Order: sequence, then structure tokens, then C-alpha cells
Amino acid sequence: MARKEYDTYVLTDLDLVPEDKETEIILRDLTPSDRRYKYRSFFASALVSRDGSKYPDKLWVRLGRGQLQENPWSVKVIREVSKFQ
Amino acid sequence: MAAYTIYKDNREFIKALEQYGDLVTIEQEVDWDLEMGAIVRRVCEKKAASPYFKKIKDYPGFEILGAPLATYRRLAIALGLDPASSVPEIADEYIRRTSNPPIEAVVVDKKKAPCKENILMGEEADLFKLPSPMVHEGDGGRYLATWHFVVAKDPDDGMINWGMYRQMVFDEKTMVGPVLPFSDMGKMFYRKYVPKKKTMPFATVIACDPLSAIAASAPSPIPEDQFTGMLMGQPVEVVKCETCDLEVPAHAEIIIEGEIIPDLLIEEAPFGEYTGYRTSPREPRTVYRIKAITYRNNPILTVSNMGIPTDEGQLLRSFSLGLEIRRLLESQGYPITGVYMLPESTHHIVVVGVKPAYSNIASQIANLIFGSKMSPWYHMVIVVDEDTDIYNKDEVIHALATKCHPIRGIRKYEHAAGTPLYPFADPEDRKWSRGAQVLFDCTFPLDWPKADRPIKVSFNNVYPKEIQEKVLKNWKNYGFKE
Repeated sequence: MARKEYDTYVLTDLDLVPEDKETEIILRDLTPSDRRYKYRSFFASALVSRDGSKYPDKLWVRLGRGQLQENPWSVKVIREVSKFQ
Repeated sequence: MAAYTIYKDNREFIKALEQYGDLVTIEQEVDWDLEMGAIVRRVCEKKAASPYFKKIKDYPGFEILGAPLATYRRLAIALGLDPASSVPEIADEYIRRTSNPPIEAVVVDKKKAPCKENILMGEEADLFKLPSPMVHEGDGGRYLATWHFVVAKDPDDGMINWGMYRQMVFDEKTMVGPVLPFSDMGKMFYRKYVPKKKTMPFATVIACDPLSAIAASAPSPIPEDQFTGMLMGQPVEVVKCETCDLEVPAHAEIIIEGEIIPDLLIEEAPFGEYTGYRTSPREPRTVYRIKAITYRNNPILTVSNMGIPTDEGQLLRSFSLGLEIRRLLESQGYPITGVYMLPESTHHIVVVGVKPAYSNIASQIANLIFGSKMSPWYHMVIVVDEDTDIYNKDEVIHALATKCHPIRGIRKYEHAAGTPLYPFADPEDRKWSRGAQVLFDCTFPLDWPKADRPIKVSFNNVYPKEIQEKVLKNWKNYGFKE
């Protein structure tokens, strides 16, 4: 089964992103089963790593103005977090 | 009845564009994921005809009109004028119509409102059922609302506001976007709802008639539904929303209803902006939660693509901001010959023509313009005398380069209100919406002796009238085509 792919925007120094520690981040789904839902965003509690193969899914990283970083990281989505009642 | 053609909806306007040769109908399937955005962007940069997308990948039954009002020619068509009308002719007609008394909207029955042909409520109301384009690579999300307006109502006096506030799709039920505190809706939301932690009802109107869109992008103090009536010469038809007491144009293609949340911000952007750059950072912004979607059968969305000039945001904001400034200056009796904002300046440059009646009149004009509530949207004022055609870019540049003294002619204004969208501002200034302003006085000082005043060397200025007439009469005989 192909790896799922997400992307996220990092608004701080990339070195400040905590690796291998459960963190809340916003992810965008780049490979939904229904293509109409591409780019759907959600808050996730997740583990991330700069090592592109450490976690099950691929994570593309963008900077604050959309600049895509060359090498993908990896991510494990633990759960989706709802901000609404 | 109005003496000019009015298009009651987006569909009639599309037919008019086709009739005037300003439409390219694209039958080939186009992908909403960047391909469509790239086409619309290139159309804007080449000032080409509006693309009308008939087949959108993943979204059968939907159509999209791109760059609906990105040229003066299309603005003239929207106003029911001759497409070849000049900018001053379009401006004069706009001023004439909007100087008449406001015309209240009329509420029509839901059965007579095409925007109610389909109603999605509850779980069915899902934003991903609509073909929101991914407009530019790198954008923070899909932008459903790029040529649209958001309806809101003041809870105290019931005043209606229609304004263009961009909206990015976050998830099935959520959109996010900037609502700047100095904007009309921002004042309403931050002063009257946020302190009470109350949600504010909103309705996003997508693909309405062209005059409603023009009104929504205008900085007039008149409520935009009434302003639309002034542009139309008759009331705009509106209909009640399904989930709140707001009213929306009955002939619009799509309506999104919901509430703006007072105590939650979600990251929005980046986005290609009206300045031609992706400037304002991704940061927490206003959250819209949706409750209902209503739409016409086979809806036709409108898509604008902001970037380098010229798109409809730049053109229409330049047009209407400039004319609102003209009204402001005229209301105080300044001897101006006109006001024009260059769309190519992304409405950052205001050109004012004046008959210099006394010393430093340019400073007085600039002080009034920069003191207006509209001022965060521009920061350069160029004042020229009546010898310069304000609509002629070449003449304005010539005046700036030759009549503005590099020190005495330039007056700087520090500590001005700005926006996070200024590409020239440093990151901290953008964060706090801080700007700066400048006046370029391109009038010769009145105290110069007449004999010392430079004489403009142009065909119209240095040849006797009879020679000019002779040359013009014989121009083609000399062998020139134009």
C-alpha cells in the first residue's frame, strides 16, 4: 500500500520542530481517497522526524510563504484533534 | 428604468462577454488543482479574454468564469457601456450613477430566488463539494472565495456590509481568512461581537451579478446593497438566508451561510496577493464555520487570480478608491482636474491633477488623502498640474521625473497605518500593520518668476493651432497610418 502524503507549514526555525515527540500540528492531506478532498487540513497529534523513512507517512515541509523544502520528512498521525464543540 | 443594459446575474454577463468577443469558452477538461489558476494568471498578465471553464476535473455539473472584470473593457461591459469607453468616460458614468440617492434592495420570495434551487444543510453542507481552486502553488489552501463578497450586519443599527474578504477552505465546515481590524466587517466583528464572545452570522456570496461585485469592492460609506441599486438604477433583488436574518442577492450562483467564531483563530495563508507577491505570512486568522450551502442548478463560480497586474482586485479597487478620493477632494472644494489610481501600481499610487491655486496645495491634498480611512490601501500620492493627463502613464512618469524636486518635492509621512500585505515593509512592520507614506509634488512653485518657468515641449504646447490642425489634417497624406 502506498504511503500517504501530507504537508505542513513550519513558521519557526526548522530546527525548533520537536522530533519523535507527540506534537500538535496542522496537516494537509495530499492523497485522499476522494480527490475532491485534496488539501483538506486538520489538527493532528503526531510524531514527526526529519528521517523520511522513520514513520509510516510522508511529510512535505513548507516555510511560511509556501517555500517547499527539498527532502520530505516522515510523520505518524496518532489522532485528529477537533477544535470545535 | 435605467437607460443602460443591466445584467441581473453572472449568466447574462457571460453572454454579454461572449457577444463582445471578451470570452474564451474552454470545453476541454481543466484541473482545479493549479491548472485553472495558471490559465487565469496568464489571462491577467496578457490582458486576454475571460476564460469560461465548462468541464472541471472531479466536479461534473460545475462551471467557472475566470478573470471576470480584469480589464477596463470588461468593466465598461459590466456597467452596460460601450466596451470601447475610455477610463474617464467610465469614471464619469460611475460618479453620475453613484451621486444619485441610494436605492434600497427589495426582498423577493425564496421561490423566485435561483440561489435556492439546491439547499445543503447539516452534514450535507460540505465545502469540498464545491470546486474551490488551488490558485497558486504554495498557497495555504484552496480558496473558494476569490471574487465574491461576505455579507454581515451591524447588530446595533442593522447596517449591511458587503466586503471582499478572502476565504481559504480549511476542512468540510471551516474557512479561514484575514479580517483586518480597520475594515468595515473588522470594526463590526472586533468591537461588537468579540468582546461579548458572540458568533457573528455571515453569508458568502459567490458569482453574483457584476454590479454587486463592483459595489462590494468599492470603499463607499453607502451600504453596498443600496450602492448596487445606484449602479443598476433599480433595486437589487435579495432573498433571506436559511440560517440567519441576513439577505443575499437572489440571482447569485452560490451562497455559503454560517458564523464567524469569536474565540478561535486558525492559520491561514500564504496566498498570492493583490500586490503581486505572497507577502503576508501564514498566521492565525479569523474562522468561519459554515451551516448551509445553497446554489443554482449547474452553478458557475467566479475565480480571480491575484498576482502581478492586472487582475480585477487591482483594477476595480484602483478605480473605485480613486473615485472615492476624487469625491473627498471635491467635497472640500479643491480645484482638482481629476484623480486616477494606476492599476499597475496595485492601487498604491494616487495621481491627482490640480490647478495650483496657491503654494503647497499639493501638501494639503496629500494630508487629506492620507488622513482618510482608506489610506492603508495606498501610500504614494503624486500631484501633477493641469498640463499632465493623469490617465496617461507616460505623462505622469514624465512629470514625476522632471517636475518633482528630489528633496523639496518629496514629503515623507512616517508612522502611518498600513497592512500586513506591504512587500516593502519589514517583517515587524507587517506584523503590526505599520506603513509609511510619501507625496511627490510635481507642480512648479508658484513663486518662480514667469520668465523662469520651463515650457513643456509637446505637439500640443509649442506649435500654433493652425500648424497643429494642418499636420493633423495631412497626417495620413504624409504616409502615416495612425
